[in-house]
Amino acid sequence: MRNSDDNDGFFVGYINSLPGSAQWFVPLTAVLMVLGFASFGILAAVVQSDPGSGQFLWDAGEVNVSGVLEEHPYPLIHAEPSARFPQGRTLMLSGDGKRGVQKRVASLSGQRVDVSGFLLKRGTIDMLQVTATPKPNSTVMPQQTVNAPLPRSLGRWRLTGELCDGKCYAGAMRPGQGLAHKACANLCLIGGVPPVFVSTAPVEGHQFMMVADQNGMALSAEWLHRVAVLIEVEGAIEERGDLLIFKMDAASLKDL
Amino acid sequence: MSARYKSISWNRSKVVYDTVLAFAILAFILGYLKLAPSLPGFASAVELPIQRIRAFGSCAFLMLSVLLCIGPAARLDRRFLPLLYNRRHFGVMTCVVAAAHASFVLDWYFAFSRLDPYVGLLVANTSYSQWLGFPFEIFGIAAFAILLVLAVTSHDFWLKFFTPPVWKALHMSVYAAYALVVVHVAFGALQDPKMSVLAMSFFLVPPAIVVVLHIVAASHHSPSSETVKASAVTSESWLPVGSVHDIRDGRAKVVVLDDDSEVAIFRHSGKFSAVTNACAHQNGPLGEGRIVDGCVTCPWHGFQYRPDDGCAPPPFTEKIATYRLKREGELLFLDPRANPPGTYVKPVEL
Repeated sequence: MRNSDDNDGFFVGYINSLPGSAQWFVPLTAVLMVLGFASFGILAAVVQSDPGSGQFLWDAGEVNVSGVLEEHPYPLIHAEPSARFPQGRTLMLSGDGKRGVQKRVASLSGQRVDVSGFLLKRGTIDMLQVTATPKPNSTVMPQQTVNAPLPRSLGRWRLTGELCDGKCYAGAMRPGQGLAHKACANLCLIGGVPPVFVSTAPVEGHQFMMVADQNGMALSAEWLHRVAVLIEVEGAIEERGDLLIFKMDAASLKDL
Repeated sequence: MSARYKSISWNRSKVVYDTVLAFAILAFILGYLKLAPSLPGFASAVELPIQRIRAFGSCAFLMLSVLLCIGPAARLDRRFLPLLYNRRHFGVMTCVVAAAHASFVLDWYFAFSRLDPYVGLLVANTSYSQWLGFPFEIFGIAAFAILLVLAVTSHDFWLKFFTPPVWKALHMSVYAAYALVVVHVAFGALQDPKMSVLAMSFFLVPPAIVVVLHIVAASHHSPSSETVKASAVTSESWLPVGSVHDIRDGRAKVVVLDDDSEVAIFRHSGKFSAVTNACAHQNGPLGEGRIVDGCVTCPWHGFQYRPDDGCAPPPFTEKIATYRLKREGELLFLDPRANPPGTYVKPVEL
């Protein structure tokens, strides 16, 4: 058995007055609650981890690039030297939103094309969000030979890192990695956006590389289960222009 | 109390309560999205839409944590009872903030795709067979679905429709919703390998406080209750429930019976009456209430009943069970068989 005691207040809401003992307690609690919520809000914001420097280069506006286009494993263009890229540059290509440009470039592989879009950049990785269907470059003479840079093999590597979608990671969404971003990354990859491997240790100065299956083709849907988690995987790496392609061997895959 | 259904029976207490809560939510969101970025050294380059997602998600998480602390806090310290009075509005506002979080998620992570955002939410990640990479969104969806049901059924219409025991049981699922939210966070935000210990504590400390407060409140309740054993039954099934001097005027003593039902014995103007300890409104603990204007008054929402017949004063229609009492000298005895709700029982005179 227990007695209700009267060393405390008894509050009846519709009477619209606070009992004596609660007359300072409740307003104080209300003030502390508002201040506490503000403090928690500030605290929760400042402890966010830094997502890195990837971003859209909006200031550059819509840029035009000419170069040789490759379709596999994912669309990319070997941009010719220009004012923006004095040494030339290999750019991954994506469409608007979570879409790739596979359909738009299917008939142009190996050809010299003009393409325009907006640049995304993060470290050694560059991507062009294509705004219009690439067009064959009309200034090329029929007898002129235009080739993509020859691939250079860098041998087999066993790497630890994370599979991400190349667009969000390059800066379309910061942070574009981690498990909270997995579903978004999967949607990007389903849509045809080129995936990248973010290695914990750089390979010849590259921490990011485009990925392919061991045959150098686009990844199958099975790989979606490995996106955004730390994995260890082996495969051949080849350099195309200044972009690395990591041809991952599914049999060597290990979850960490 | 209300004799008819209104959308909300506003009074000053509710207006003040909701205003304070709205300011708290505003303070959190502004603190997150406006004040923090203006602090020197704040260098987060997280996209604004993702910051919105995080701000409203964190706010809903904190609100749900605070909401679940109110009950045990009020049991430990009666001065928290005013926070309990309008707790349903707290719950509804938590659901609204959670809805904003979900909406921002759909409009960002699941937008810009060929798939409908709702379809994308369900099919983008199907890694159900693995711990890391498990589609944590599903826990958030389940938690939000529960909060939505609770918010929609929070009105007294549904309380009457379901009956208080069913309604109460339904609304206890807020604990399931909270557990789902904690798992949602554990499989999502907490998996960020770059997360600092301070950031982790933001998500780990509130659930720990909720658990500890509930354990403390439960143990606080038990020692002061005494179960009347069947062996203590005297002739004619009357249970001795203590001295008349044990109960102060306007207060009650709670007796826990063998079947775990509880009876509140009130002393009012020199007389004694016994009623069930469960309020007809939300099963509130009437024995922790008071006699106000001659009526037993529930500490949760102020529902009132006449002590001698368990009927709410007109025009209200709620009724609670009454019990028979008798006095032998200075001792009170209780007949543990409950009378039908609203049955008049002559009070025992002091």
